[in-house]
Amino acid sequence: MELLELARGPLLIASIAVFVLGIAWRLYGIFSLRVAVSLAAPRRTDTASAGMLTVLRRMSPRAGVRPSSTLVAVNPYIFHIGLALVFFGYAPHIGFIRRLTGLHWPALPDAVMYVAAAATIVSLLIALMMRLTDPVLRLISGFDDYFTWFVTMLPVVTGMVLIAEPSAAVAARSGVLYPVPLAIHLISLELLLAWFPFGKLMHAMLFVPGRAQLGSMLASRGVDA
Amino acid sequence: MIDYAVFKQFGEAITHLGEMAKKVEMPDVERVEKATALMVSKIDRQMAVDLESCVKCGYCSEACQFYVQTGEAKYVPTRKLDLLRRVYGREVSPLRFVRRLFEAPISADELREWQELVYDACTECGRCSMVCPMGINIARGVNVMREALAVAGLVPDELLAVEQEQDQRGSVFGVGPAELRAVVDKLRATGVDIPLDKPQADVMVLTTVIDVLLFQDALLATAKIMNHLGVDWTIRSGGFESANFGLLSGVEDLQRKATRNIINEAISVGAKTVIVPECGHSYPALRWEGAAMAGSPLPFEVLAISEFIGREIGAGRLRVNKAVGAGKLTYHDACKLGRHGGVLDEPRAALHALGVDFRETAPTAQMNWCCGGGAGNFLINRAAGLRQKAFELKQVQIDATGAETVVMSCGSCRLNFMSGQQQSQWPVKIESLVELVGANLAR
Repeated sequence: MELLELARGPLLIASIAVFVLGIAWRLYGIFSLRVAVSLAAPRRTDTASAGMLTVLRRMSPRAGVRPSSTLVAVNPYIFHIGLALVFFGYAPHIGFIRRLTGLHWPALPDAVMYVAAAATIVSLLIALMMRLTDPVLRLISGFDDYFTWFVTMLPVVTGMVLIAEPSAAVAARSGVLYPVPLAIHLISLELLLAWFPFGKLMHAMLFVPGRAQLGSMLASRGVDA
Repeated sequence: MIDYAVFKQFGEAITHLGEMAKKVEMPDVERVEKATALMVSKIDRQMAVDLESCVKCGYCSEACQFYVQTGEAKYVPTRKLDLLRRVYGREVSPLRFVRRLFEAPISADELREWQELVYDACTECGRCSMVCPMGINIARGVNVMREALAVAGLVPDELLAVEQEQDQRGSVFGVGPAELRAVVDKLRATGVDIPLDKPQADVMVLTTVIDVLLFQDALLATAKIMNHLGVDWTIRSGGFESANFGLLSGVEDLQRKATRNIINEAISVGAKTVIVPECGHSYPALRWEGAAMAGSPLPFEVLAISEFIGREIGAGRLRVNKAVGAGKLTYHDACKLGRHGGVLDEPRAALHALGVDFRETAPTAQMNWCCGGGAGNFLINRAAGLRQKAFELKQVQIDATGAETVVMSCGSCRLNFMSGQQQSQWPVKIESLVELVGANLAR
């Protein structure tokens, strides 16, 4: 079996299986634990909506808290938005998702994708530099933080290798021009999918319940979180 | 009027407090086993979400006065949960079978190391949670860490001494029913009626050791306000103490015992309302955690004295004069009362009613900086230097308002402010909200 066939076939299925089952297992393990229920008379009763408001509010840093530098506050937006744009906006990626699920949507122009990918790479490099040089971040970082950085960076870099021609040309051709680099790119994505349930990437699943529970709890006490 | 000689005596007594503690000896293996079991028993869904979702962004460091003022990375709030995170990872997490292969169990040396982090360098002020992008309730995790250290016999000596006294003798700093009665008699001599041990009353007022020993004017002002309102109230010598050293030191059995003592006393007098004095942690201990300690909703409402005053002023029942000569004035939100308790608007309503030249601090309300002395930190002698550094941030914040007086409604904060003031010759006047209102009641 060719490497590309392997990447498009068994490895893809296996990584998606680990991704889905792993997330389900981890979420089940967390959400099957007992729930602490407050018996205190609440000061406010609209705690559910207050929780959702906290989910939205925490999308931006709280005013009045000094960030160590502006870059600390801005940089995470760049790689989060950049990754989302590249994964969901690039025509070949939409084609990939369409083949797997049947779902599709209009693609963004290639130029936007190139800028987004470049910005993401630079931003991820800055994030790593900060993690290695800032005393606080260095102290609190562990294997998960560095390996997650690695598996996030890898698909972006291996994808950049493949952008030698416009996405329209890729779509028009029936065959694959660079099968080995494409296979490596796919395998790097599969690595990310397989790692997702085991590391900090799970924050994508947990930021909503985490923010909401704090917002609800504080709202019941009459405090806007 | 504060008797600074008594304040000095109180400070000197604190320096010897640790000597009174009966140290808890046990083998290290037992310490680790007990701490681990305690942590496991405390992990519920909300805490699991908190322990799973940290992305190690470090934002919380900028919200912590101990990190900001020292620049020492070890004080970053999320790191204070590392041992709890490891226990969760190895014992509770859905990935525990994998994590056990890669994560070491916690050790007794680490528990000892964490004592400084969760007692000396954290007042459970909760400011870190207000900035966390994931919404992690770090203060709750720190409180579990305190409980774990408590069962492992690693509570700081000063807190251990007071906790043991409250548990075994029912008094705090030697203040029991007889001492309360003596102070009430002294205050009655000023002509103010203080109904002690009435068998039935609508309102049961709590006080605290700090008010009995030092801030007696706060107790007197509370009595004046109650009498001014014509409230049917009492103080019960069998359940007057609002301070809860079970909560502060992390000993849940004592927290439950002290809370239930108040609840039982309130039920026995048929109180519809229980008023908590100017004692920060006492408010969430009863208002927000009291029902959990009792095992059922409380059959009375719980109000902080500042909350009660603000509410009564807002309703037009409590009328106050303009506080002539009060000058420029700001308000310090005690963390346990404001950020943890939600008592934010009522103290301001009282100050506005007094017509003072009020200036807000920046940041303020639920984002206010902690004074650095809460959650029992004020009593820990070895933490004095760290506490003073944290307090210097508070001084800068107050100075920036241009206020001549800082008002607060928490005796612990007030003690810490007074201590910090003495060390740095800070000229700002420190005032209690209840005393300010009590001094300006309308005829």
